[in-house]
Amino acid sequence: MSIRAELKYKIMKDYGAPAVMAFQDFKRRKPRPVPEAFGPPLETNKRLKEILSRHYFLSRYVPGVKKVAWVTSGAPVELLRAFDFYTIYPENHSALVGAKKQGADYCGIAERSGFSQDLCSYARIDLGHMLSGKTPAGKLPKPDLLFCSNNICQTVLYWYKAIAHELNIPLIHFDAPFVTTEQTEADINYMAQQLQDMIPILERVSGRVFYQNIFEDILKRSMETSKTWGAILDAMKAQPAPMTIFDAFGHLAPIVSLRGLPVAQDYYHILMEEVDARVSMGIGAISDERYRLIWDNIAIWYKVRFLATFFAERKMNFVTATYTNAWAETTGYLDVKDPWISMAKTYGQIILNNNLKHRLDLMKKMIKTYSVDGMVMHSTRSCKPYSVGQFDLRKAITADLDLPAVILDADIADERVWSEQQIHTRLEAFCETLEGSKFG
Amino acid sequence: MMIPDRSEYLKGLAQTGQKIMGVLPALYPRELLWAFDIHAAEIWDPPGEILHANAHLQTTICPIVKKSLEFILKDPDIINAGYLFPHTCDSLQNLGTQVKDLIGVSLPVYTFYNPKGSFNNTTIKYYRDILQNFQLTLETIYRPLDPEKLLTACELSHKIDSHLLAIHQARMTNHLSLSNEEYFKLMRAQEYLLPADYLNLLEQVDILDQPGESLKTRLMVSGILPPTSKILEFLDELGVSIVADDLLAGSRRIPKFSMDAPSSPIDYLTDRFFVLPPCSTRGGDLDERMHHISTRMKDSRAQGMLFDMVKFCEPELFDHRLLVKTLREKSIPVLTLETELEHHISGQDKTRIEAFTELLFDMVST
Ligand code: SF4
Ligand code: SF4
Repeated sequence: MSIRAELKYKIMKDYGAPAVMAFQDFKRRKPRPVPEAFGPPLETNKRLKEILSRHYFLSRYVPGVKKVAWVTSGAPVELLRAFDFYTIYPENHSALVGAKKQGADYCGIAERSGFSQDLCSYARIDLGHMLSGKTPAGKLPKPDLLFCSNNICQTVLYWYKAIAHELNIPLIHFDAPFVTTEQTEADINYMAQQLQDMIPILERVSGRVFYQNIFEDILKRSMETSKTWGAILDAMKAQPAPMTIFDAFGHLAPIVSLRGLPVAQDYYHILMEEVDARVSMGIGAISDERYRLIWDNIAIWYKVRFLATFFAERKMNFVTATYTNAWAETTGYLDVKDPWISMAKTYGQIILNNNLKHRLDLMKKMIKTYSVDGMVMHSTRSCKPYSVGQFDLRKAITADLDLPAVILDADIADERVWSEQQIHTRLEAFCETLEGSKFG
Repeated sequence: MMIPDRSEYLKGLAQTGQKIMGVLPALYPRELLWAFDIHAAEIWDPPGEILHANAHLQTTICPIVKKSLEFILKDPDIINAGYLFPHTCDSLQNLGTQVKDLIGVSLPVYTFYNPKGSFNNTTIKYYRDILQNFQLTLETIYRPLDPEKLLTACELSHKIDSHLLAIHQARMTNHLSLSNEEYFKLMRAQEYLLPADYLNLLEQVDILDQPGESLKTRLMVSGILPPTSKILEFLDELGVSIVADDLLAGSRRIPKFSMDAPSSPIDYLTDRFFVLPPCSTRGGDLDERMHHISTRMKDSRAQGMLFDMVKFCEPELFDHRLLVKTLREKSIPVLTLETELEHHISGQDKTRIEAFTELLFDMVST
């Protein structure tokens, strides 16, 4: 660790980052007008921007001070936190690129270098970033370590292997067997043992020693943060719901990428307070919530604003989503008294690593408990584990619950896949059916 | 050498009352099924158009997944013991649960997880556990496993592997006089013949004492399935010989080297899994895969590489870029074709194959 780098990092952390945040805040002083269809925006949005910008900003000064790890969204990051890695989430970064409508540009870089256009766009964007250094976040530090788990998809393993090869850095992979009926003892022991096997490698890469008590504190914090996130999502059962799921897509970032850190824990307490207050005052995320919807699959990042407005104008609010729920669903399994086994249970059973019966039951439960009137499924070209099975899920849900549903063919971050005409036609037809079914 | 027709053969078997399980790609402990007297009939690219599967799967799903679902939806008589979905890729993982939990079939659906990534003692222990769990699953449906039967199954498997290794070796060194089409027909017959019948077939293969004529252009092929028969025929016409392969339906399912004869079946099956060549679907190391391919190319004196990529196959598409880049850096000519398993060969592909083989031919002549 270089003293100069550490000093610079400290100055940036204590003075540089606050100054930059204050400047950005000044630039944003004139808030964008909120369309009539929406209720008052969440105050916490400002805090969200601050902590994310700060995280990306500080990452530039991290090399030489902390080791940097690139991590997948479903990986058991608590273990890395115990070694004080500075974590970057390429999926989160790709979503950011997608939201800025720059996905095609980054994908193009990866494609021109030989990666197929048929690969997941999060991966292509990240590979495009890796090959060109381009990023809307200013600059991202190169990783010292890659940490991935196939509990969300096998794609991340192929993708991280490609980065590990290109950058010649170590890759730690957490193999999470897919849950076809239920986790077996062998599955759980296998995962728990893998986690323990990682300790010497992490000690070597980080140059730090593993302390069980530090790890347990992180685990506790992570568990508490996920529970708060779950409570925030629960609050959306209120009518009108205090947030839309499009808000939640944004507020999800800290639970994904800062999980286990005090900043995320504090952040969700603030958000929880605001959400609670809105519920008690009857403030809704949209001005006149008459229909409540469920979203399935990852967001269409480059169309979040469009979709939010389209539905809000029709008095339709998304009050729940399988995607946002993923970081709250299995938290209950975490147990500091039995960290390894409990992490195996938590991380092994997340929605994308679980069978479709589980997903069907979960969706039906969400539809009932959130008083949902209709379902929008995003069938994304990028993501096989999220999308294969959706046609039959829709069939089962519409048949059992008599719920109007629509499937939108699009992509998470590659805007070239969006077909304006087709999506409009489907959405209009869906809205008509929904209106007819509820009040017709 | 007479190779029975796949569907006729399986129909005949089913009529005898043989238990037949439909198995999806790619790696599974076939010996355990054999020990329960269950025949494994593999479903990779059944013939017929994709019609009904389109109502269940998006357009961006690979044709192997779609074709196998189309086959399953027909509820074919030849499959009477259930379906087995090994964990191969994200698409097959979901298809397994989709068929079992959402679509529903009249037969039982089984799954088998293949560990992913780099392997160590933890993985080895886990693989043993899952073998034993799979055995228990079969025991609850059928009967307690007869250890002797499992040992016999492993011995049979070992003999088949030994023959296949010898045949691969003979192919690489020109000691085999089979056309491309005949050769891959023979390789793929293991997907549906009873192991004893397949072994019998392999025993008939004539391995020449002396190397045959070696004028042909020599090619290695990589991908999931061998090129379609039209492409193989065309390569035969052009005088191109596929001398080695890195195919999931081919050499990636045969141990890298000859193993000791089995004495303890579970140990044998565990060892066998870990000595298979590197494979994208197991998330293996890229350098290791590249090294394996380079060695095969060298040993077979292949002059170029043909990648036959199944459309939308993520495991292969990710590795493909690096493999192509590395081969090109070594000045090895590479041709990539993309297939949706269609039975014709497009004019454009024909032209590309011709140009590619001419290039190889020129390289040999100069
Ligand atoms: S979008 Fe799907 S395929 Fe891509 S990284 Fe995420 S989970 Fe994996
Ligand atoms: S071709 Fe590729 S994507 Fe398709 S089933 Fe095989 S491994 Fe999976």
